Formats: sequence, structure tokens, C-alpha cells
Amino acid sequence: MNVAWDVVDVLPDQAITGCDEGLFAKVDQSSFIDDLVVAPVSDCVVPQIFWAYTAFYDKAAFPGKKPKSMKDFFDVKKFPGKRGIHTWANALIEMALVADGVKASKVYDVMSTPEGIDRAFAKLDTIKDHVVFWSAGSKPLELVSSGEVVMALAYNGRIGAAILSEGKDFEYIWDGTVLEQEYLVAIKGVNESEALEFLAHASSAVSNAEQAKYIPYGPMRKSSINVIKKGEPWFIKEGGNIDIMPHMPTHPKVLKKAVIADPFWWADNGAEVHERFGAWKGS
Amino acid sequence: MNQTASAPILTTDGIPLKVSLKKVERKNKIRAFLLVLPLLAFILVTFLVPIADMLARSIDDRHINTVFPKTFEVYEKWDRKDLPSEELYATMFFEVKNSEGYQIGKASTRMNYSKSGWKSLLKKSKRKFKKIEEGPYKEKMIEFDKRWASLEYWKALGVMVDPTTMGYYLNAVDLKFDSNKEIIRQKENRRIYNHIWFKTFKVSFLVMFFCLILGYPISYLLATLPLKYSNLLMICVLLPFWTSLLVRTVAWMVMLQQKGVLNNLLVMSHIIGDENRFQLMYNQTAVIIVMTQILLPFMVLPLYSVMKTIPPTYMRAALNLGASPLHAFYRVYMPNSVPGISAGCMLVFIIAIGYYITPELVGGKDGQMVGNWIAYHLKTTLNWGLCASLGAILLAVMTVLYWAYNKIVGIENIKLG
Repeated sequence: MNVAWDVVDVLPDQAITGCDEGLFAKVDQSSFIDDLVVAPVSDCVVPQIFWAYTAFYDKAAFPGKKPKSMKDFFDVKKFPGKRGIHTWANALIEMALVADGVKASKVYDVMSTPEGIDRAFAKLDTIKDHVVFWSAGSKPLELVSSGEVVMALAYNGRIGAAILSEGKDFEYIWDGTVLEQEYLVAIKGVNESEALEFLAHASSAVSNAEQAKYIPYGPMRKSSINVIKKGEPWFIKEGGNIDIMPHMPTHPKVLKKAVIADPFWWADNGAEVHERFGAWKGS
Repeated sequence: MNQTASAPILTTDGIPLKVSLKKVERKNKIRAFLLVLPLLAFILVTFLVPIADMLARSIDDRHINTVFPKTFEVYEKWDRKDLPSEELYATMFFEVKNSEGYQIGKASTRMNYSKSGWKSLLKKSKRKFKKIEEGPYKEKMIEFDKRWASLEYWKALGVMVDPTTMGYYLNAVDLKFDSNKEIIRQKENRRIYNHIWFKTFKVSFLVMFFCLILGYPISYLLATLPLKYSNLLMICVLLPFWTSLLVRTVAWMVMLQQKGVLNNLLVMSHIIGDENRFQLMYNQTAVIIVMTQILLPFMVLPLYSVMKTIPPTYMRAALNLGASPLHAFYRVYMPNSVPGISAGCMLVFIIAIGYYITPELVGGKDGQMVGNWIAYHLKTTLNWGLCASLGAILLAVMTVLYWAYNKIVGIENIKLG
């Protein structure tokens, strides 16, 4: 087998499968295991970032009362106008339940019952006639900028980049944000020792914080947030650096009302939910 | 030479001339065949083989039988009334435990089509079974997840015993097999395809209709204007034709969106209020508008090529003989242009019915066509069997239309230029 990669950036389901099938090397997790926001999904990963599905709007779209919560995102009477949402079910189920009054920490308990899924779809039904779908990450920003929708869900890093680098006047709705994990792994048997050395370096508290200098994705290590706090202004920008903490999806304040996506739940139930979501989307 | 008339004519080598000529001819035939061989191979590889593969996939139901061969052997013995015996549970247990992860993935995807829930059950079980060392397996499996005690799940395997299935075709028209292999309708919240088929035909028909309405006068002008004007007009038709599909679609998005050019102009000129901007983007209307513009050249070009051959003297003669212009057009010009109309309509309809990228970009929620659903299943749910059956149905519809067209109008009457 000719593998060109030494180190791969993976999502949780790939991390689980690849580790189970022996494609990835096991790593020594002792240096960070107690410092993580959530337990690692497998024995092969080192922490990298949290990225998030986050709702946002253009401040100009709401001169008066501004939407503040996921409930407001789903409330088309209080805040009329179209909503931009993605074309797959991940995060939408969680958000619908948060909007329906489920506590962020209890979302997966509810989702694990058939009634919970029905409840989520019932909530989704309330915005069904008001949605515009997107499938490419740049699209929600375009939809909100052009005024085609009044609010949208997007990857939080994209929203941050638009605010920080393009000077857009966007505002986040952090309530009900859904965080997704992203890890690094080393391929077994290909420059394995160098790759592991690199992973050890890349997963240090300082390295883990480093990415936020360029795009506001959240570090997975708790102590990295302190590194950023102390190092502010952390975000590198021409003409003077800026504070990045207000844009962090792992800001302690955000974490309190955020849902951390459970890859095991999605691995077990994804197929059925995707099928049902497909039918919902089409009817 | 002393030959009778009936004796064969011989060449100087003594071989009959007929044989010799045939030999040369065969050589030529082989040479000609070799010349078209690359094209033939190309068509075979890029066109016929994929279509055959698609048709095979749409009925193929083997992938599960190859992952659980022993289970299915034992399954055949089951009476399908009470819960299966320990033997069936144990066989299933070991085949799940010892199979490769990705094989389970493939098989469970298929099993999930006949009973939603199999996939998650197998995924969970695969992880759990590693820790179970000894029987009784039936008891332990049921204890771990009560779905193992569900008759529904076991019965659902029954429809997968055969190596081929019509199941995907049924799914493509909102039907399915129940666990006794009777054909029943899909659950109400899963019925979407009949609606999507209807929508696809509706949109394609409307696009064809609008293309004809818009394309006919343009083609008439092209065919009758003096050369220097008609050349300019021709360029106006061809320039967009040569422009990338994606560019044209995105340009329409700029034009039609709520704060786009058209709505802004209407608001600025006080025709509509700022609050009542038209919703022209991300719906079916947008799909019809944009597809009509994109497919217009496919209507204009065949129409033009036919109209060019209608002698202008016909119309003059008709007018001269006392017909009103309308009457002359209706009785003389239009019948002559029918080959162009039918060619254009068929071309536009065939292209429209399988459209993907434009509905994807501008269709929003209610503008998605069959092509978009094929893409959805190809990428998100990985239900390639359903993709193949949807594709095969499209192919069949086209073939039927072509056949009907040939019966009614005659294919020799078609003119593409």
C-alpha cells in the first residue's frame, strides 16, 4: 500500500472507524487527557479544534428587537423572514430541540427516544415554509449579506472570518450552537515515529491555541483558552491585532448553552435520521 | 483463351476473380472497421457499459447475501412465525463479529432500506459483540438490545434472500415490500417521489413550452432578416450558448434575488413597495426562468435550420392567393416548420428532464428535480440502488417518448440542422 500522508485531519466518525480498522497509530494521550472539553473519541487521536454550526444575522436586518436565542431563530412570527439552513440533518435536530425548550445538556437524552425525534421534526415543520437551503459553506454568508434571508446557520469560522477580515456587521446567536470535533491522527507504518512526534507537538496547549490566530475555531484543550485569554489581542490582522475571545465557540459562556455533537449517536442513528430528513426536505 | 461462358473468370494467379475481389473487399472492410474501432470502444466504455452497470445496480441485491451467507442458509429453515432459534442468533452473531467493518456497513445500509433501524442495531452490536465471549447468544443479544427480539427485524431479512430485487423501483414510486413481500405504499411521511416525478415533468414541459413561445419568433427573424442583421442576431443567440452554464446561472441569481437588479428596479420605479419584493429566487419559478434562458438556443437552432429551408415564395404565394397573413402563416408556414418544432421540443425536453446544476443552485426547497434527488442519494444516503432505479426510469421515459414521437411524427421528420 502506498500512502502519501503521514498525518491526517479527521472528523470523529473517520477517527473511530480508522482506529478500529488499524489504519491509524495509537497515541499516548496522557499529556492532554485531563485537559479536554470532551473525552477523545478513540485511542488514535490528538485534540485539534471545535468548529460549530452557529446561527447569525446581519445587524442591519433587525433595527429594533434582535434575535437572541435558538428559540428566536425558529420563531417566524416574532422575527419574520427566511432562514438559511444546511441540507443535511446534523445539528438541525439538536437545534430544533433546543428551540423547543430542551436544555442543551439534555438534548441527546431526548434524541435517544423516538418521541424526541418526532418532536425535533415537529419543530422543524414550523420553519419549513421559510427556509432556503445551502450546501456550500460560503453560501449562508452570501444569503445573509444579500438580504435573501434574515438569519442563517453557518460554520462559525466563516462568520468570524467575514466579521474580522471583511468587516461585515454580523452578529452571532450563540444559544444552541452545535460544536463538532476535529482531530489529528498519524497513519500507521508511514513515518510513524516522526508523525507521532509532530502530533505531540501539535497537541500542546500552546499549539492548540495557535489556530485561533487565523480563524476563530475553538481549541479542544481547556488550558488553551487561557493561553488565548492571556495572549489577547490574539487574532493576527494587518494594522493591529484584535481580541478573538468574543468569536470563540469554546468561550466558557458559549459552552454553557452549546450542544456538543455526539458522534456515537450519529453513527448509530444517522442513517434513519438522514432518510427521514430527506423526506422532510422533499415534501 | 478457350473458356466456356459458365466457367469462372480467373485472375492471372489462377484464383477465381470473384474470390479475389471479395478478399480485397474484406481487407477494406477490416480497415474501415479498424478506423471506427476507437470510437466504438469509446462509446462502449463511456456510454454503454455505465448504462448497463446502472441497470444492473438497480436490481442487484447480492451485497447482503455475500456478507451473511451462513445466516441466510439458516434463515431459510425458519418458519417466520415465532422468534428464530438460538442457531440463527448464533450464526448471525459470529458473522457480525467476524466480518470486516466496511462489509457490515454496506450490508447494514441495505438492510436499513427494508427495515429502518437495522443499521444502528448492527453498528451498536458490532462494537458490543467483541466483548461477548460465549452463549447463549439469543439471550445475550436480546438483553443488550431489545430490537433483537423484534419479529419485524427478522422478517425484514426475508425480502433480501433473492439476489435480485424490484425493491428500488418500488421505492422510486413511493411503494415498498412489506415483510411478507407484499407490495404496499410507503409510510405517509416518506412519500416524496411521485410528487418529484410530477414536478420534474411539469418543469420540463413548461420550460419546453416557454422556449417554443420565445424561440419561434427569434428563429423566424433569423431566417428571414437580411444577412447582415441576422448574423448579429445569431451572435446574440450563440454568445450565451457558449457561456458557461454556471456563470449564467449565477448571473440570474444576481438578477432575481430579493435585493437583486430586477426587484431593485421595480422598487426604485415605485411599481412595487419595498415590503412586497417578488420572491423570484430559490423556488420553482426561478428554475423555470433560468432553465428557459439556458435551453433557449437548443430550441432556436433546430427551428432556424428548418425555417431557413422554407422558401419565402410560399408565403408570398399564399398571400397572393387571398389568404390573410394569419391564415397563411397557420396553413402554410407553420406546417412547414413542424420538423423544427418537434426537434427543438424534444431536444429541450430531454435535456430539461435530467437537469441538475440549475435546480440545485436556484431551486431552493420546491424547485428540486429528480436529478437533485439522485445526487442526494449518491452523496448523502449512499443509496445507489435507488439512484440507479431513478436513472433507469428516466431512461425508460425518454425511450417511450422517443418511440411515441416516432409513431406520431416519424423520426425522419426531425431536423437538427
